[in-house]
Amino acid sequence: MDDSAIIDLFFERSEQAIDELDKKHGKAVRKTASNLLHDRQDAEECANDAYLAVWNSIPPQRPNPLVVFVCRIVRNLAISRLRRETAQKRGSGLDLVLDELEEFLPSAQNVEADLEAKELVERVNRFLATLPYDDRYFFVRRYFFADAVNDIAAAAGQKESRVSLRLFRLREKLKKTLEKEGLLV
Amino acid sequence: MKREEAFEALSGLDDAWIAEAIRYAPAESARPPERIAHMKKRMITLALAAVLILALSVTAYAAISAMSHRVPDPEETFRVTWEENPSGYIEWSDAKLVVTFPDTAESREIEFRPGWLPEEMASLQTDTWQQRLTAEQLTDNGGPKDTAVPAYSGMVNPLLIDVYATSQFNEGGAMLLLYYTPEEITEEHWDELNVDVLRFHCTQHFDAMPKYNMPERTLQQDILILENAEAGWILCIRGEIGMDQLIRVAKNLEIRETGKVLTYADFEDHYLFMDGGVG
Repeated sequence: MDDSAIIDLFFERSEQAIDELDKKHGKAVRKTASNLLHDRQDAEECANDAYLAVWNSIPPQRPNPLVVFVCRIVRNLAISRLRRETAQKRGSGLDLVLDELEEFLPSAQNVEADLEAKELVERVNRFLATLPYDDRYFFVRRYFFADAVNDIAAAAGQKESRVSLRLFRLREKLKKTLEKEGLLV
Repeated sequence: MKREEAFEALSGLDDAWIAEAIRYAPAESARPPERIAHMKKRMITLALAAVLILALSVTAYAAISAMSHRVPDPEETFRVTWEENPSGYIEWSDAKLVVTFPDTAESREIEFRPGWLPEEMASLQTDTWQQRLTAEQLTDNGGPKDTAVPAYSGMVNPLLIDVYATSQFNEGGAMLLLYYTPEEITEEHWDELNVDVLRFHCTQHFDAMPKYNMPERTLQQDILILENAEAGWILCIRGEIGMDQLIRVAKNLEIRETGKVLTYADFEDHYLFMDGGVG
């Protein structure tokens, strides 16, 4: 079933909408949740919460693309859940992603105090627009979806070491860009 | 801003980038059934084509007994063995150029050293024999700041030279150009190095993105593939310094055999990507 038909089901308030949404995009939704939560049951609950949030948002919204809308919701819900539980363990997969993020946001002291999240994401979006397709894919899979590097490498058909190196270079490049734009001091 | 806040902020990435990353990942989104059927059909077609070629005559083999290239159908998919993937393979599509080589039982491994490099690359000149030379550290694009050369500002990689073996590409393996689009392809034979040469200029176009204040732009590079069919080695020379300089670099390479012989079994992957390092 295509996305617009699924959205029509939401508009009709048919519960089949959630089944169809899960059937079509459930893998991506669960993978996003489990990358962050590292617990199958938590990820499953988070996916269900995301479907409920979609149910409450459509109507009036008619998101396009639908999969991005639901992945963004599940990502936010998973982050909230992590924050609530504060059960994050050092050395977890997500922790590695956060460590890498620190490389281009070196420390709280080095970032201008008035830096808004919105401003950061705007700069990152602009930075992504300058990248070749595969680099952009590596970056988004790693820092939006929190995919493991070996998963990204397998999906892209490249060696893990090469993807790690590309990610390292991208972080360096982003850091340099943010420095040049005066975002990092 | 703490790292957790930065990570959370990235929820605001543009829809286009997220959608692109979802589409790209074969493991993430359910593959449409019609695509699977399409692939099966294609594999049957390829199998029939192979039988037909064999049936035609030995001269068909002679005709492809040198490096050859073709622009694949945009829909054509390359099934690359990838043991780490649960399926055991991954599929590449959208290749812009495919270069194949005659099956070779044994390739004689080589190494090289540059006999001439542009003056901006003086720091790379060395007497050491090597199998890979990259000039990416001379750019300001991720390389260390103290080695950046102003002439190469904004480049990704001015020059990349690496060595391959034709035996790696036996049984349908190939070198693939994935993102750049090649322009006219020149085929030559260089007596001085006893190599067949394919060379071309290629580009990758980006549309303007007014939303991000990004003008329309085009990345470009030149690629030379040198094949010594007799010894079974390949040299790939590519970069952004222009074809004339790349040819001069290539023609002045000193090349020697290491004494090692490489066979198909020595390689884990039988596809290589020409975009690597430049783009």
